[in-house]
Amino acid sequence: MLISLEETVKLIKSGSILHIAGDNSLLEKLPKGNWIGGTTPYFITDEGGVMTKDKLFVTELDFAEEMRTASYGKYNVFQIVEECFENGLTLLIMPYGSKVVEKYAKESPEVEELLMHPTVGWIAGAELGTDDEIRVYDGVSGESYNDRAVVMYLRLPDNKTALVNMINIFQDDKTDPVITFSDNELSVTKCRVNGQEVNFAEYIKRKKIDTRMPLVADYNGSYINTSIKTAGEDTIDLYAPVFKGVEYRFARPVDDYVTEFAERIGSLRADAPVVSFNCILNYLYGGLEGRKIDTYCGPVSFGEVAYQLINQTLVYFEIS
Amino acid sequence: MTEKVRDNIKKILLGQLEYRSSNLALNMLITKLKRKIQSDPGSMDQCMKEIAEFSEKSPIIAKVDFANIAAL
Repeated sequence: MLISLEETVKLIKSGSILHIAGDNSLLEKLPKGNWIGGTTPYFITDEGGVMTKDKLFVTELDFAEEMRTASYGKYNVFQIVEECFENGLTLLIMPYGSKVVEKYAKESPEVEELLMHPTVGWIAGAELGTDDEIRVYDGVSGESYNDRAVVMYLRLPDNKTALVNMINIFQDDKTDPVITFSDNELSVTKCRVNGQEVNFAEYIKRKKIDTRMPLVADYNGSYINTSIKTAGEDTIDLYAPVFKGVEYRFARPVDDYVTEFAERIGSLRADAPVVSFNCILNYLYGGLEGRKIDTYCGPVSFGEVAYQLINQTLVYFEIS
Repeated sequence: MTEKVRDNIKKILLGQLEYRSSNLALNMLITKLKRKIQSDPGSMDQCMKEIAEFSEKSPIIAKVDFANIAAL
């Protein structure tokens, strides 16, 4: 729910366990309490997509029996698999552009046991085209960071379980060429297209590929996106890494993002998402401002975490 | 985990059977283990241990998926 600073302070003071997203000018005014938060001025609300620096998106995590928070840098972020609750949920927020995001993005797919523990989160950002501060907050300690991840560990009752899932409106065309990469990279020069080595930037230019469409990899039926950040003359920079040994194709164009989301949501069996994180690229390219995506509300993110870092996706969790 | 489930999971990891879960974590795990076996065919036992560990830590998911896998 999108609420005022005063209402948020009241909730914090009541002792509720909270996840909070909003502009830094509001987050920095919040008192200590049982919360973590991150910066973004973009949200998907019941009324549709909205950009505001005057309200905070607050989610009560009242399903948890116990909570603790922590912060990590790039050298110890994967301690999350050791420090989480046995039956719980790990909620993670990292600041865009930080080394900890880069480390997490590149290495999380290979981290032992990560997939054994429901892990969800988002990358905090700021209004595009501004120098607004990007920060993440640990409300328990009262500390905030632009170079560390904050984590909330939530312990669930024995009869409950957390499910992390995503809605991806992009799909590949299996007749398109397969693109592979020789390393886990955030910045790519060369790739192989159907086995033949080419310059990735030249290939994109020659094929007139719409770089608003992500690269899509089929993970056993779950499609994982990697989005293009900038297409230079010789190098392609990505928002999440491509991985060695994974087969990618460019996604097919999407006509209307809201219609696609509605179709995917209709076919899901999700009960009630607690909170969802929808990518800023969907917000921008899909023109989501003012348009509704039923029940999947939450902050608009600058990268989504569903175990690993993914892009251009709506990530959510539910407790059942 | 029954023998049937074990056998079918081995076939899935070797690409001899196809199974797509509705659970994101299991799909990611299957993908990761398939790649591991492709690069190191001798790692099947280690991969099966990871599957067993996943089922212990996610019993509700494993119950549904293992029933489906047994029926393949």
